[in-house]
Amino acid sequence: MYDLLLFLTLIAIGYVAGTLTEKRHYRSIHNREKAFLHLPAVTMKTVDYPEEKVKSAELVYGSAVISIDYFKKILAGLRNIFGGTVKSYETLVDRARREAVLRMKEKAGDATVIVNVRIETATIGRKANKKGVGCLEAIAYGTALRLEK
Amino acid sequence: MKYTPRQPESNVNVTPTSPLREFFVLTGGLLGLVVGVYLLLGLAVDLIVPHISTDLEGKMAVYFIGSIDAKDANSQREYYVQSLMENLQGRCAKLPYRFTVHVREASAVNALALPGGHVMVFTGLLEKVSSENELAFVLAHEMGHYAHRDHLRGVGRAVVLMTISAFLFGQDSSVSKVLAHALNITELSFSRKQETRADEFALETINCAYGHVAGVADFFNKISKEQDPGKFGHYFASHPENLRRISHLENIIQSRGFELAEPKPLPKGIQQSKN
Repeated sequence: MYDLLLFLTLIAIGYVAGTLTEKRHYRSIHNREKAFLHLPAVTMKTVDYPEEKVKSAELVYGSAVISIDYFKKILAGLRNIFGGTVKSYETLVDRARREAVLRMKEKAGDATVIVNVRIETATIGRKANKKGVGCLEAIAYGTALRLEK
Repeated sequence: MKYTPRQPESNVNVTPTSPLREFFVLTGGLLGLVVGVYLLLGLAVDLIVPHISTDLEGKMAVYFIGSIDAKDANSQREYYVQSLMENLQGRCAKLPYRFTVHVREASAVNALALPGGHVMVFTGLLEKVSSENELAFVLAHEMGHYAHRDHLRGVGRAVVLMTISAFLFGQDSSVSKVLAHALNITELSFSRKQETRADEFALETINCAYGHVAGVADFFNKISKEQDPGKFGHYFASHPENLRRISHLENIIQSRGFELAEPKPLPKGIQQSKN
């Protein structure tokens, strides 16, 4: 009985805390993306610009680790049985990638554009026996160019 | 091409959804499915069990018994309980089993009927009883389970249960824990009927062996007064409604006209705490 109670408490905590954190994170992501609108991050390998006008080109990267909460974990576990879109993980991947891109842009400082942007994901913090709550890491990297106007 | 920076209006990567609703729908579906399979397989167990010969049961039991075959340090107690059980079987409860008693060092006031005639008695039980009649009643109760093949049904259902949850979620996931809890409730109500039948069997056996039924109700009275299911572990947690069982036993004693007399004391050395 205590196990069941503990389980339900964990789910409730996971749901409430997870939802609140997510809302706050999305607000922050939205605001910072707005602030960084002047700095495009594109997947093109180069920009059509005279070479002598490129003042600097350097590697920039940003990474973010987002943990799933207990509620999302259980929900995804249930999804594993019936199949279908694992909607509970979608926000995690989305948040991790956007946060990583934002951090990359922060690192780029006064660059004009970031080219050749790549985003990669990995799971970390999962034990060998596959127990425990896993985390998702997203890393975004690219080449920040400072161009002479 | 002119680049105009702007934020996307909607997020295509996140499906707008109600996670709580999804959770309840999935949980409900899963519980329904598992309960359905469990009931079906439970039916299958009930159909098959009467046809399992004791021979086959003995062969099957090897898988369950392998790990508990360790000897108890005090073999005098084991010898005593074993001979008491054989005495009961030889004189009054003719069952096609060769009973083997395992005395286990544990505080639980408990005895278990395992497949293949292996009866496990915990030392907590030996310390708790105050007469041979009480101990004999508990042993006869376990023999009652053998007479009705309840122990096989129990194991069968336990195997079904374990298989389902291990298959779906792996050995120790939290989802299977919750399921185990939900299913244990039906397991309990299932065994209540069996307990009553085993009680009746035990009462008959005790009356036959001693010519009276003293000590039978004593044991339950003692247990129900202490009112601590946790302390008595599985045996009395899964043997609920002790008071109902006592009154049922007393009804039978009255209607059948069983007599009460002085219970027979336990031989020395069985209860270590009192020596």
